[in-house]
Amino acid sequence: MTEVNYIVEALKFMVLGMGVVFLFLIVLVQLIKLQASLIQKYFPEKTPITPTMPKIGDDIEEEQRRVAAIIAAISEYSKNK
Amino acid sequence: MKIKQFFLSILFTLVTMSSISLATEETKVHHETQQEQNSQKEPYKSKTLSQLASSFWETTGINAILDTHDGEMTSDPAGEAKEHVMGAFESSLGRIIMIGIVFLLFYLAIAKGFEPLLLLPIAFGGLLANIPLAHMAGPEGMLGVIYNMGIANEFFPLLIFMGVGAMTDFGPLLANPKTALLGGAAQFGIFGSLVGAVALGFDLQDASAISIIGGADGPTSIFIANRLAPDMLGAIAVAAYSYMALVPVIQPPIMRALTTKEERQIKMGVQRKVHRLEKLFFPIVVLMLSILILPESTPLIGAFSFGNFAKESGVIDRLSDTMQNSLINIVTIFLGLGVGSKLAADKFLVLESLGIMIIGLIAFGAGTAAGVLMAKIMNKFSKEPINPLIGAAGVSAVPMAARVVSKVGAEERPGNVLLMHAMGPNVAGVIGSAVAAGVLLSIFK
Repeated sequence: MTEVNYIVEALKFMVLGMGVVFLFLIVLVQLIKLQASLIQKYFPEKTPITPTMPKIGDDIEEEQRRVAAIIAAISEYSKNK
Repeated sequence: MKIKQFFLSILFTLVTMSSISLATEETKVHHETQQEQNSQKEPYKSKTLSQLASSFWETTGINAILDTHDGEMTSDPAGEAKEHVMGAFESSLGRIIMIGIVFLLFYLAIAKGFEPLLLLPIAFGGLLANIPLAHMAGPEGMLGVIYNMGIANEFFPLLIFMGVGAMTDFGPLLANPKTALLGGAAQFGIFGSLVGAVALGFDLQDASAISIIGGADGPTSIFIANRLAPDMLGAIAVAAYSYMALVPVIQPPIMRALTTKEERQIKMGVQRKVHRLEKLFFPIVVLMLSILILPESTPLIGAFSFGNFAKESGVIDRLSDTMQNSLINIVTIFLGLGVGSKLAADKFLVLESLGIMIIGLIAFGAGTAAGVLMAKIMNKFSKEPINPLIGAAGVSAVPMAARVVSKVGAEERPGNVLLMHAMGPNVAGVIGSAVAAGVLLSIFK
C-alpha cells in the first residue's frame, strides 16, 4: 500500500486524541473525588458551631438586660415629666 | 504508512538541519558584509540639491508604496535566508489592505471591547510590520528581536501559561468535577477540524497545527505551531487570538441554535465549599497525571501547575502576584507585538492564511457545539440539573467563554448566574487542550 488516505489517518488521530483527552479528564475527575473524600475524612473543616452556641445565650441575657435598662430609663423619664 | 513516516521524518530532519545551517551561514555572511563595509567606506562626494532631494524621495514611504519594482526585501525574524524580493502586490496594495485590517482590529478592540489586551498589541505589531523600508520585523528590528526572544523558542507561551495558572481558581471545577468532561468534549473542535483541514489539502502535520486553533487557546496554538508548522505560525497565532477575541460574537448563536429555551433557563444549585487542601493538591495531581500519561504536554501543564501551585500555596504571594500581574502583562505586550509582526502583507496575504482562518473558525464552532451537546447529554443523565450553556465554556478561552455563557444565561433568565458553573468546564478546557496538544506532538514525534 503506497497511497495513504490522509482523511482516514486524520480520523484515527481524532479517535486517539479524543480518547486520550477523555481518559485524562475521567481519571482526573476520579482523582478529584478521591482527594475530596480523603480530605473531608482526615482534615475536616472546623465547624464553628460550638463557639457560637454560648454566644447566642449571652446575647439573650444581654438583650434582657438591655430591655430592662430601657424600661427603667423610660419610666424614670416619664416620672420626671 | 512506512513511506509516509519516512517522508515525514526526512522532511523534519531537513527542516531542522537547514534551519541550523542557515542560521550559522547567515551569521557568517553578516559578519563578512560588515567587514566589507568597514574596509570600503567611500569618501563623501558632493551632491547637488536635486540629487539630495531625489535620494530622499527614494527613502520615503510614498515612493516605497508607489514604486513596486524597487527591489525592496521582505523582512523575517529568521534572517535573510527566509527573505525575498517583494512582489508588486506585497509592496503596494497588500500593505494598504493589511493596514486597513489593522484599523479594523483597532476598532474591534477599542469600540467593541473584544479582548483588547491581545488584539490591540497584535494589531499595532501588524501596523509596524507593514511599514516600508524600516524592516522592523527583520532580525535586527524591534519586532524581529521580540519574535526571536520568545516566540520562535516557545518561551512566551509558557510564561503566559504560568500567569494563567496563577490567575486560575480551580474551586468551581473541584466543587463539581464532572463538568471537566465538558472541557474534554470541546476538544472535538480540534480533532474534527483536523479532518476538515486534511480534506482541504493541508498535510497532516500542518493540519494538526491549524486545528489546535479549535482549542481556543492562544499560547497552546503558538506552542504547537512552532513545533509542527513554524512557517504558518503567524497566521495560526493571529487566527487563534482573533477568534478568542471574537468569542462573544461566535459562540452565542451556536449556543442558542443547539438548546431550547427551557434548557437555557435551567438554574444550577449552589456549589459546595472547597477545602483549601484540595486546591493546594490539585496542580500537583494534574501534573503527576500528565507526567504519567503524556509527558509531551508537561511544558504547558508544568508551567500552568507551577503558577497555580504558587497561588494556592499562599506563602509566596509576592511571586504569584508578579506572575499574574506584572509578568503576564509584560509577556502579553511582547507576545502581541511579536505575533503582530506576522501580519506583514507578504506573510499574511497568502491563500494558506485564508484556509487557516476558515478552518480555525470551523474548529472553534465545532468545539463550542460539541461542548453544548455534551452538556445536554449530561443534563439528561445527571441528578443535579446542568444548564447546557456551560458546555460552550469548554473551549479554553479563559475567562472570556465563561463570561459569555453567564451573559447568555442571564439574558434568558435574569438573575441566573452561571459564571462559577461555567468556570469549571472553562479551566478543564485549558487542561484538555494542553492534553490534546500533547497527543498531537506525540503523533509526530
